[in-house]
Amino acid sequence: MNIDAYCVLGTDREYDLTADGLLRALDQAEVERAVIAPVDRYLAVDNRIGNDFVLQAAASQPRRFIPACSVNPWYGSAALAEMRLAVGAGARLLVLHPMLQGFIANDELIWPLLDAAAAEKLPVYLHTGPPGNASPWQVTDLANRYPQLDLIMGHCGATDYWNDVNEATLAASNIYLESSLGRPFTFVPRLAIVGAERGLMGSFAPVNALAFEWEQMRLALPPDIVPAVCGENLRRLLEKRGPL
Amino acid sequence: MIVDCHTHWGSVWTEQDGDDPRNWLAVLDRHSVDKAFLFGYENLHRLDHCREDNDRLARVVQHSGGRLIAFGSAWPQTGPASLEEVRHCVQDLGFPALKFHPWIQGFSTADETFGQICGLAGELGAPILLHDGTPCYTMPEQIAGLARRFPRTRFVLGHSGLLWSWRSALEAARQPNVWLCLCGPHMRAIELICHRADPNRLLWGSDFGFGFADSVRYRLAIIKQANIDPALRDQILGINPFRLLDLA
Repeated sequence: MNIDAYCVLGTDREYDLTADGLLRALDQAEVERAVIAPVDRYLAVDNRIGNDFVLQAAASQPRRFIPACSVNPWYGSAALAEMRLAVGAGARLLVLHPMLQGFIANDELIWPLLDAAAAEKLPVYLHTGPPGNASPWQVTDLANRYPQLDLIMGHCGATDYWNDVNEATLAASNIYLESSLGRPFTFVPRLAIVGAERGLMGSFAPVNALAFEWEQMRLALPPDIVPAVCGENLRRLLEKRGPL
Repeated sequence: MIVDCHTHWGSVWTEQDGDDPRNWLAVLDRHSVDKAFLFGYENLHRLDHCREDNDRLARVVQHSGGRLIAFGSAWPQTGPASLEEVRHCVQDLGFPALKFHPWIQGFSTADETFGQICGLAGELGAPILLHDGTPCYTMPEQIAGLARRFPRTRFVLGHSGLLWSWRSALEAARQPNVWLCLCGPHMRAIELICHRADPNRLLWGSDFGFGFADSVRYRLAIIKQANIDPALRDQILGINPFRLLDLA
């Protein structure tokens, strides 16, 4: 099964992806399913609006969309409650965006959320790459602190931390690399070093064109690891909570 | 006509091919790219190799049949010698422009000697392309600051803010002497930049050549598939590069 590891559903600033548009793009790319996450605004504030929107969209397409939720850790106990609410309603992934949500990735501020995510066997996707507060080694700190938690390094630290990604990933067995913005020509050589079982193909539609990203990735990946990177690795993580 | 405005002659190419760019150019041929602005690698990483690499670039360009246009570099940490290196690149080697990477080279855009280099480049009519998008020395705002201080000098943001600072690059491009090279932002950012920025100051690049990886395929496909006016795409790929260098 092919799964796109990260798409953003909704309309806001540079985002303009509707459910129908995403389905068309998935069909064009011959991808069965996609993780869907809220737009930037609802990562930063009003998390409930974004989470409800994504959960409703996923409920209408349960065979195609896999809902991710997000909460801003600065909301404290309310963030924890919102996360639990969203997970109870079907969210299969927690998204954190240190730059947009205003914290340093390895800040203790998020530990309560990670405690809860670990208890729920919920993978955590961290947007990485923005300098200073979302680096690969910060993800490693979290991975070492929470060895039972699966952490997805969104965008592979692109662009400036490309040097750090391999060593930071090899320092923890529970880090997975999501490809979007990392670009196929740098992502694929990484997998030879960190292991193909760590690779997750994500398009980050609509800021990237979904079908185009899938085409480029399939051109770049060695055929023998296409199934794992293009869906099976992610399915293994997501199904720790039960079948998709 | 397609001109790749951001490429490098990486050390791996020297080790493999000496000064012969035929294999390097074969990658461009694969994607019907006609010409390229060629930057060094050693001259951005090793102060003690700067002159040697500038001279190597001149030889590589000589062997390219007119397809490559070299940008030289210098290290402001060497004081007056860096100004001499700029003159050597422009006046002796015939390079039309300069490339700096303050993050890797380890100097601030506020460096006094670099200011002198920016002034000299303006006098010589040599645009300066800088790596950008990376703190703490190469943010678009810092390069826009240089553009304010040196209005006679053309500055190119070599990455248009990369992935996270492209909105800052758009702000920087409000300075009339700032150009943007679309080499790094994602497709949607490229579309928005093309929609909002001065169409006469946009370029495209692949960052090919640090190693052997073919980054041209992906980055050229992005600009070809992006939802931008076809005439503007043609202008970016084949007209603006010559305008930057006053070769139009």
